[in-house]
Amino acid sequence: MKSIFLEIKELNKKFGPINALKNVSLNISQGEVICIIGPSGCGKSTLLRAINWLTPPDSGMVKLEGKIIGSENGKLSIEQSKLLNDFRARMGMVFQQFNVWPHLNVLENVIKAQIVVAKRSREVAEPKAIKILSDVGLKDKIDEWPDNLSGGQKQRLAIARSLAMDPVLMLLDEPTSALDPELVGEVLSVLRNLVNEGMTMLIVTHELGFASKFGDRIVFMDGGEIIEEGAPNIILKSPKTDRLKLFLEKLDITSLKEKH
Amino acid sequence: MKFDISYTFDAIPRLLEGAFITIQVAILGFTLSVLLATIITIARTSLRSKILNFIIAFYISFIRGTPILVQIFLIYYVLPVFGLNLGPFTAGILAITLNSAAFVTEILRGGLASVPVGQFEAAKSLGISGFALWRKIILPQTFITSIPPLVNEFTMVLKATALLSLITVVELMRVSQQIYSANYHPVEVLSGTFIIYFLMCFVVSRSSAFLEKRLKVKRA
Repeated sequence: MKSIFLEIKELNKKFGPINALKNVSLNISQGEVICIIGPSGCGKSTLLRAINWLTPPDSGMVKLEGKIIGSENGKLSIEQSKLLNDFRARMGMVFQQFNVWPHLNVLENVIKAQIVVAKRSREVAEPKAIKILSDVGLKDKIDEWPDNLSGGQKQRLAIARSLAMDPVLMLLDEPTSALDPELVGEVLSVLRNLVNEGMTMLIVTHELGFASKFGDRIVFMDGGEIIEEGAPNIILKSPKTDRLKLFLEKLDITSLKEKH
Repeated sequence: MKFDISYTFDAIPRLLEGAFITIQVAILGFTLSVLLATIITIARTSLRSKILNFIIAFYISFIRGTPILVQIFLIYYVLPVFGLNLGPFTAGILAITLNSAAFVTEILRGGLASVPVGQFEAAKSLGISGFALWRKIILPQTFITSIPPLVNEFTMVLKATALLSLITVVELMRVSQQIYSANYHPVEVLSGTFIIYFLMCFVVSRSSAFLEKRLKVKRA
């Protein structure tokens, strides 16, 4: 049994009357790839955002390597917010809408946090950025402006920007949902490389193909709760609950419709 | 009385000296107002204090709802009553700054609204926070989109400095008055003044197109 790398314990979050997270607990070992699936509004994005406190949970806690991220009561002291920045720098986050910085060119996008947060010198940060950009296939775009990139290139840039901080964990919030179908492949192949390098990842995704091939575990959420979790071949082939069955049926129907 | 252009030419060297003061007052006042407006914008967005936001809203509606001339007089004549005796130059700069900052704050509000929330979140998720988040990520984007209205506001400031002649700041308008009250040729002298004001504003508003083009070319 591997030790717990990321521990999520009884997270709760309410938006008004809606339970976005209801007693969500999850233990993740180092190198594990967790794919989170579920209908829209089920709390899967909120879960990712609660882990790095972009959305502070109302209660519950998250521990990375045994240390509490943020606090246990949803509030932060000054000391805790400083620590939070260190945690965030070690957990890369990739967004559905890329959120690359349009006022900085491709290279500067990948350098900025290295200098501002990791306090690296430009002499260290720049070669590192170039190396990572070539790893994600953007070497010939380093002087380009983000506005001139395709969606797939923007998302690869966003991934590179996170990787430059040497994250120990990646949080990916529907990384391919905003992409044209023909651009999904290039982003998935970058993610595949990350899986092969042993990166610990939590991915909110609708790409069941990717999830079943590269996910160590699939977590199905609905109504802010984890309904089912387990190995992909078990979860996807023989769902135990009606809610998951219904969800998978709906996905199948939509993918069939897309084929015709 | 016929128009004698030699009076215009004779006045030009002194008018240009006045124009130099006008430019100084405008640049100083506008720079301070942008600084103040930036601080107000950051405070308003990140502190989310109800009292502070009320004070800011009150300040903005007060400035926008009263004539700038009254504001200038208020600072120049009323502050000394409370023991704060500023010279005309300082009082003038202060009035221009406080007036323009209200408008610049509104301009920056618009610019900031065009920066998606995701830009903040991406920076935070990498550990960038506090002032660095504003300085490196948010403000550059806010200012780029705000260039045209900011340049427009600067021309407003440049023109408003003429009102400072009424509190004896010796800028272009005041110099012009001094010259024609000595030579009794207001038409000729004011024509020269008119043209200098126009040229200054023309150059400034052209710079907007130049700045926009430069920054757009860089990004597109």
